[in-house]
Amino acid sequence: MYGRKACQLVKELTNSESGQLTTFNNDLFAQVIEECEAHFRDLQALFMKMQEEGTSNQTTKNPDHFGAFMHHLSLVRNKRCIMAYVYNRAEVVQNLGWAVELLLPEEIEEKLSNSEKEYFKNHLATLKSYMTDMDIDLAVDMVPPKDPYIKVRVLENMGNVALSDQEANLAMHAILFLRRTDAEQYISQGKMEELTV
Amino acid sequence: MANYYDIDDILSEEELVPVVFLEAVNGVGLFESNEANRVEPRSKAELPFWLAQGMHMRQGVSVSIPPCFNKKTREEIGADGAHVDLRSRCSYFYELGCKMVHLVGDKSIGSLLLVAFQTRYKEVLIKAHTAASALTPKFLSLLTKEETKLYDAAKSSTAAFKTWRMGGPRFQKALVLGRKRKPIGE
Repeated sequence: MYGRKACQLVKELTNSESGQLTTFNNDLFAQVIEECEAHFRDLQALFMKMQEEGTSNQTTKNPDHFGAFMHHLSLVRNKRCIMAYVYNRAEVVQNLGWAVELLLPEEIEEKLSNSEKEYFKNHLATLKSYMTDMDIDLAVDMVPPKDPYIKVRVLENMGNVALSDQEANLAMHAILFLRRTDAEQYISQGKMEELTV
Repeated sequence: MANYYDIDDILSEEELVPVVFLEAVNGVGLFESNEANRVEPRSKAELPFWLAQGMHMRQGVSVSIPPCFNKKTREEIGADGAHVDLRSRCSYFYELGCKMVHLVGDKSIGSLLLVAFQTRYKEVLIKAHTAASALTPKFLSLLTKEETKLYDAAKSSTAAFKTWRMGGPRFQKALVLGRKRKPIGE
C-alpha cells in the first residue's frame, strides 16, 4: 500500500518518550525517498501517455488522470511524513542544546544523522553567540534561588577543578557545598546531583 | 487544518477507510494480484484516509463509514462506553470520526463521539487520580491515543500536586533538575 513506509517512519517518533531520540533510521528513510522516485516516474509516464493520446489533463473522467492523481497524492503524503520526521527530530535536537551545554554525550550523538549533528553544532553556536552578545546566561534555572550555595553529591570522578570561588576536589561520592552557578552545569550533565535535605 | 508536522494528525490519516471506486484508474499497483495495474469502476477497496479523501474530492471514489463506527460499536458504547476497547478498533477514534463527518455527511457520528467521550472521560479521570498503578495496565489498553494523553496529563498533575503539598519550593527545584538530566540518564 502506498505511503506505508513513510507512516512507519513517523510511527517511530511516537515509540520514543517525548524529548528522547531513537536512532535515525537511514535505511527506511532512503526507502521512502526511493518510493517517491517511483511515484514520480509513474506520474510522468502517465502524463506522457495522456499527451500522446491527446487527452487533456482537465477531463476528470479519464482513468489515466485518476492514476496520475493517486501518484500525486502519494507523493504529497510521503513528503509530509518525511518532513514531519525530520522536523520533530530537529525540535528534540534543539532542546538538547538547552539541556546539555557544550558537549553531547556519546550515546545520544550516535543516534543523530550527520546533518543533525551539524544542526546541533550550529544551534549551539548561535545560542552561545546570542548569550555573549546579551551578556546573560539564559540556560540557568528559571526559579530564583533562595541561597547562592547548594549541597551536591558528586557522581563522577573529575579531579581537581577550579570553580569561581574555590578549587575543589570533585571525587566520586564527595558531598560539597558549591555555588549554584558552578554546580548547575554539572548537574545538567548528570555528573552531580542536588541534595535536598 | 492541523499542524503540518503534527505526528498524531499524520497517523490518524493512515487509518483504513472502505471505498468503492466510481471511475477506472490506470497505472496504479494498489492490489498485488492485479497485473494490468488498472482498477475497474465499482471495485471495492480499503484505502488509507488521506488517499480516500483526495480521491473523494475528485469524485473518484465513494467513501463509506469505517467499521469502527458501525452499529455494533454504537450499541456497545451506548451500553457501557467506558469499557469498550476502542484502541483495537481504531486508536484515533475521535480524530478519524471528526474527519469522516466531512466526507460522508452522516450527522450521527458527531453525537456518537460526544457520548463516547463524555462517558469515557469521566472514567479516565477517576482512574488516573485514584487507581493504584498495578491495576491500570488492563484499563490503559482500552484507551485511544487521545485518551492516553489525557490519562497521563491527569496522572502528572496529581503527582505535581502531591510534591507541591509535601515538599514546598525546594522539592520542586529538584524536579526541574531531574527533567533536565533526563536525556542523559536514558
